[in-house]
Amino acid sequence: MTSISSRRLRKELNEIQAEGCPTGITLLSADNFESWFFSIEILGESLYQGEVFKLMFRFDSNYPISAPAVQFVVDQDSTAPVHPHVYSNGHICASILGNEWSPVLSVSAVCVTLQSMLASCKSKERPVDNDRYVRYAPDNPKKTRFHYDDD
Amino acid sequence: MKVHIKHWSAVAQWRWNTGNTAHDQDDEGDVCGICRVPYEGCCPSCKMPGDDCPLIWGECSHVFHMHCLLKWLGTAASKQQCPMDRRAWVTAERKANDPSSTTVS
Amino acid sequence: MASSAVRAQVAAKWQESFNRLNRNEPGISGLLAFSEAWTLATEFLRPRDLNDPTPRKQYDLNQVRVAFGVIGECRRLPVMMEVFLEDMRKSQHLITREVEVHMALYESNSDPESIRTLVYRLVEWYDTWKPTTDLGSTIISAYTLAFQTHLFSVLPPSFARGIKALISATLERIICQSQDPQDRVLWQAFDTLSLIDRYETLIASIGYEIIESHVKETCAGKWAEPMLGTLRTWMIDKIVPWMLYPFARGATNADEAKTMMQGVGSRFDFHMHKTLCTLRTNEMFDIIVDFPDSTGALQDLKECLARVDQRADLVHALRRAINKRLLHPGADTKDILTQYVSTIKCLRIVDPPGVLLFKVADPIRRYLRDRPDTIRCIVASLVGDGESEDSLVDENEPIQPLQQPEMENYSDPDWNPEPIDAGPDFRASKSSDIISTIVSIYDTKDLFVKELQVLLAQRLLAVKDGNIDRERRNVEILKIRFGEAALQVCEVMLRDMTDSRRIDQHVQSQKASQMHPTIISRHFWPALESSDMVMPGQFQILQEQYAKEFSVFKPDKVLRWLPHLGRVHLQLELDDRTLEADVPPLEAAFIELFSENDIWTVDELVLRVGSVTRTAAIKALATWVDMHVLKEDSEGVFRLLNVAEGPTPESRPQILKPVAGELPPVMSVQQQQAEQMKIYWKFIEGMLTNLGSLPLDRIQTMLKFAPGYDRTVEQLGGFMEAARREGLVSVKDGMWRLGK
Repeated sequence: MTSISSRRLRKELNEIQAEGCPTGITLLSADNFESWFFSIEILGESLYQGEVFKLMFRFDSNYPISAPAVQFVVDQDSTAPVHPHVYSNGHICASILGNEWSPVLSVSAVCVTLQSMLASCKSKERPVDNDRYVRYAPDNPKKTRFHYDDD
Repeated sequence: MKVHIKHWSAVAQWRWNTGNTAHDQDDEGDVCGICRVPYEGCCPSCKMPGDDCPLIWGECSHVFHMHCLLKWLGTAASKQQCPMDRRAWVTAERKANDPSSTTVS
Repeated sequence: MASSAVRAQVAAKWQESFNRLNRNEPGISGLLAFSEAWTLATEFLRPRDLNDPTPRKQYDLNQVRVAFGVIGECRRLPVMMEVFLEDMRKSQHLITREVEVHMALYESNSDPESIRTLVYRLVEWYDTWKPTTDLGSTIISAYTLAFQTHLFSVLPPSFARGIKALISATLERIICQSQDPQDRVLWQAFDTLSLIDRYETLIASIGYEIIESHVKETCAGKWAEPMLGTLRTWMIDKIVPWMLYPFARGATNADEAKTMMQGVGSRFDFHMHKTLCTLRTNEMFDIIVDFPDSTGALQDLKECLARVDQRADLVHALRRAINKRLLHPGADTKDILTQYVSTIKCLRIVDPPGVLLFKVADPIRRYLRDRPDTIRCIVASLVGDGESEDSLVDENEPIQPLQQPEMENYSDPDWNPEPIDAGPDFRASKSSDIISTIVSIYDTKDLFVKELQVLLAQRLLAVKDGNIDRERRNVEILKIRFGEAALQVCEVMLRDMTDSRRIDQHVQSQKASQMHPTIISRHFWPALESSDMVMPGQFQILQEQYAKEFSVFKPDKVLRWLPHLGRVHLQLELDDRTLEADVPPLEAAFIELFSENDIWTVDELVLRVGSVTRTAAIKALATWVDMHVLKEDSEGVFRLLNVAEGPTPESRPQILKPVAGELPPVMSVQQQQAEQMKIYWKFIEGMLTNLGSLPLDRIQTMLKFAPGYDRTVEQLGGFMEAARREGLVSVKDGMWRLGK
């Protein structure tokens, strides 16, 4: 059964394999059309020099009409970057993943956006409500209604 | 000498008249920004291209497979905006018989 | 100096002997009577020379019996026997001579009848010398043993040959139903002389040989009917009656005879099966060629294999034959496929579990996989290419979806363990139909679907009367096999055909045109060789008019012509004649230009129509030269013959038939892939330049680093093979290197 999402994701995957990921992004695994993993690092001057993070994309069958669920992986090997929009459980507060999602965006585009979000960070700190959010956070960040305070 | 053509079994391809002749030359052609399938292909929910899976033009000049765009506009998240420029979507009236764009050769 | 004691002892012994011989008769009368009896008895027993012309002395048998009695009473029978045997030994030279005389004769004339005479003669000697039965069986046995020991020691090796011929003749007479009552006597004689026991192996070999030659004579090349039944009847009618002589001697009833013959009988039966099995094994390749007219032979083979374990021989023989006769460059791919399909069918009859098939098919499958046109052949036969009558697909076989190899289901009540000779990679394929089996030569069915599209495109573009019912039916059939989704693209192609007709009807109703285009959906048709050719003159006008009407009818769409595709039917009106021709567009474009101008050079023409090669242009011009419409005045300069020149100035219209089998220039999957592979050639070249030689899988691994490379190792293999044919690379022991 081919859903809308699998057709689109197959195209994106072919593109990634043919042309490669954007600089600093590496495809770790894309074994199905439900979840993909990437490593992400910030090249050049930034507060995250030398740090490598792991991103998880989860797609539902309606992708790209509906946005993918994107978060940093937090386990024994990797952590979420310390950033005012990134919770310690890996959830990301970014409008592009919420109310500013557009079906013309793609996995690569999301990666690049997150890369520039980190690159432009001025001070490494957690969101102010981090502890409260993390305690009650749902597994899927898409279930959270973030309040996009700036940008 | 006079040459009379009695019968000519020719072959042609049809293209959507997007008014964009520059991209007409390349192999894949333009793709729908939502499903990434060429315009002359069909959207993920269709099996037959062409009249069964038409394009939709926005006043903003962006073009999508109609089915793809309607699916997007059907979601609350779309806020009825064009996926490309986030301007409110207004479907363009097509100029039916624009003689300047009937053939591409 | 004998002491008195010794003397007394001797005297006592003597007295004892005397008493025994004299038997208390008065005086020495007893002794005299014994003496007479001894003389009579030894005289009577003494072996006689049969050749002695003097008549045999007549004895009063009663007297003889009395004499034996006397000797017996005197306990002198053993001594008499010794004397007899000693006499016999002295006469043995008579037997020796008898044998020598007859064997010399046999060796000179090779007539087994000499052997028969000898045997009868020996029986005569034996009977003549034989002591009377009155003397008891011990003496007879001793005599027989002595006689045979001597006889066997003097029979020369050629005797075996002779007796074999003699015995074979008895069997042949039974087979031809011309039994000779003499045969019974002969076998009796053999028995008397114990020749049957001595030559038992030789007699059995006669049976084996006759069975072997009979099986070969009657069964070789006869495959339509099963032969085993007939052979068994023959064994019962011909071999068993003969076997009774040597192997059921002394049987008093049928049951006893049966028991006695059981061992040798089952050996003969086994030999019959083994011979047939070997024969069919050696004939197997041709049996497969003849299938289904060889079903009988296959049933026989199945039965034989159950009795005789020659499965491995069958696999080896068949693989060897296939290698030698089928898997060589001279064989047509179609023929290889046909033979493969027949092999599948035949071996399923012989061995339903499929182990033999698996072992035999493997090299065929590997070979087919490496042939570039295999898929095309399979696909052509799937849709029935019309040219060849015998399709791979049996019309009676129901069309069914492709089957994937299934895992073993051990909870299936019909599950059986795999046959003992199944290898570790054996996969049972009993449930698969032929097409599934063939398609499974390749790892994916995608290649087939692609090739199907190419084939369909060629067919559809070649359709002239607009009738696509046949192609539609094919697509429906293929949908069942390959699934709806795989055939979706073909559906679009078919719909383009019907849409084109509908559009054309509309356009013609608005503004009649000689042009009737097929309007295709790009992305859904296989790559069509592209061309930037421009049609001149009235052709261009027709194109523009049609395109305009089209866009009126379909305002959202425009047409983009593929001018190099299709065909044009033209009428040429010249000063002295009118011609009709059915030509490709390039020919039409050129002749249109000649209506503007009578003389053109090739270069000028090419300039006017745009991107065509000079070769293609010259070929197109040649078409008109052949029709005496154009003439090449000097190299590259052509002139229109407004008035015919040369031998055929008749004005009757000529129709140039399209060249048979010329299909629209749709790139085959193979061509498309070759085109794409060219990009990777640079990588391969670099690799081989730097590393010398590499095996295929290393090249594959390294190519995976090249952007967008998604070929299978099989596809790479096909490409390398093509490169080898072009002399770019060479291969030795699986290592590829640059150059020859």
